[in-house]
Amino acid sequence: MQAHVELLLDRVGAWLLQADAGVGLVLLVGLSMSLSHAFALLANRLTPRQIALRLLLDGLVLALAFLLASAVDMLLLASVASRQVHASDFLDGIGAALIPGLFYGLVAAPYIADLLAVGLWFLVHLNVVTLLHLRFALPWSEALLLSTPGYLLALVLVALLFRQSWQGSYRQLSSQLQRSGGRGR
Amino acid sequence: MTIRSAVREQVRLERFTIRLALLLVCGCTLLVALVLSQRLRGVLLAALSPEDLRLVLLWAVAALLLLIPITGVVSLVSQFAFWEGWLAGLPDVEDLFSHPCDAPSDPAPRVYIVYLDGIHQSERDHPPRVSAFLAELERCLPPDVKVLRGLDSYTVMPVALAEDSGGSWFWRRLFALQEQHPDGLIPLLAAVLVQANNVIKVGISSDRRYGPIRHYELALKIGLRLDDLGYRPAAGSQLVLLGYSGGGEMAFGVADYLSSISRTPLHIISFCGVFSGDHPLERVQTISTIVGDRDPVAAFGNIAYPGRSPLVPFSRWRRALADGRVRRLSIAGMNHNGRHGPFSDRYRPQVINAVLEVLPLIRAGV
Repeated sequence: MQAHVELLLDRVGAWLLQADAGVGLVLLVGLSMSLSHAFALLANRLTPRQIALRLLLDGLVLALAFLLASAVDMLLLASVASRQVHASDFLDGIGAALIPGLFYGLVAAPYIADLLAVGLWFLVHLNVVTLLHLRFALPWSEALLLSTPGYLLALVLVALLFRQSWQGSYRQLSSQLQRSGGRGR
Repeated sequence: MTIRSAVREQVRLERFTIRLALLLVCGCTLLVALVLSQRLRGVLLAALSPEDLRLVLLWAVAALLLLIPITGVVSLVSQFAFWEGWLAGLPDVEDLFSHPCDAPSDPAPRVYIVYLDGIHQSERDHPPRVSAFLAELERCLPPDVKVLRGLDSYTVMPVALAEDSGGSWFWRRLFALQEQHPDGLIPLLAAVLVQANNVIKVGISSDRRYGPIRHYELALKIGLRLDDLGYRPAAGSQLVLLGYSGGGEMAFGVADYLSSISRTPLHIISFCGVFSGDHPLERVQTISTIVGDRDPVAAFGNIAYPGRSPLVPFSRWRRALADGRVRRLSIAGMNHNGRHGPFSDRYRPQVINAVLEVLPLIRAGV
């Protein structure tokens, strides 16, 4: 049993070493997305330590969301794809596909935020589909079909985090201002 | 009937002539551009290889795409500095309208009109054509209506752009350069930069994340000026926000906070207004929009702001429409600015008439 566990851990370790660039980039993308909402934390007057902790935590949760989405992709590729796609190769490649996400911090820009966010999400998905087609020789339609469920999962997870965390912060800021304005009454 | 058809024919012919002239101008411009671009291409190709040129163009586009959002993010710094209380100059809400009026014997005005200028505004004094418009409006208004003008709608503190915190060093140098070179490209560049800066402020205002701070700060600024004018909530005066172009967005954004601070319901009149309508409008009693039927900028607002689309029936704007609080007045042939804009000799009287048409309804509470 112990030998099995050791073997499994060795494999996971080797696989992670192979995929280090991808995993590192996923974490950076998470941090960049988290940074795009730093204003909400600053305006709600959190201490620098609290802000750093929230940013790091949100970044990690987002990275986890992307890893989960990639896991769904890997599962589908392993079970349904017409050609063999090695999981570590895919994870290594997905890092490069996520590079547009590094610019997600710019979504903090006023008003064009939604446009930027939609553009970046679109680019990420396009990159993943292109990666599957060019690097693993999957036909375009198959690449699109197999990568979309993971992509949708990532979208849902990020939307959930947005609803739970940042939107609440903006609402809190807004009600704080309403109270300040109402003090004159 | 014959005269009417003759006039129509004349207008049709004139339109045809104008279109023909425009086509000719466009054609000539295209021809010149083609010749110049061939020459320019030759010069550039002599200095750079096609690959280098492609790379330069690619980097230029990438830099532009990065520069726009970065400018937006940087412009948030002053908002944050205000919210943190690092900038002095605006009063606390409790301090507004609290001291006794300097001239208690004067009867208090029944209506205060707060004018919020468009994105061309760079200083407290409005451009001559806007000042002429406001002077004529004041002449036509009843004596118990007061106009508050010269409000800095696009700065953080109640100062002109050249003195505002954060970017004052840049604007001062630019305006000094403009004075040294009154002709040529510098004034054009300055006008473009001022408008770009103010467009970003309109963007901040219509962004749900940052808008509240911006509106709160503008409400304090308006409150301060109203306080100086002698406005007192107990006097029962009415407040009307009159916004031109981007000033319309500012009027919609600030309404809820200003209503809290001034302790009175508000009315909004926008002309050639570009606004998201995605703001709390519950405390706005009436909204009147004066629009030119040749105004592409105001029409663009309908597309740029999804909340105003009929496809979003439960947006705040659509709810205000459904409540019957929105009046729409159209002026035939009016454009957004320039010779056919609301401040032109031709359309100024019509815009003022439209405002005067709305005002009695506001006073009567209709």
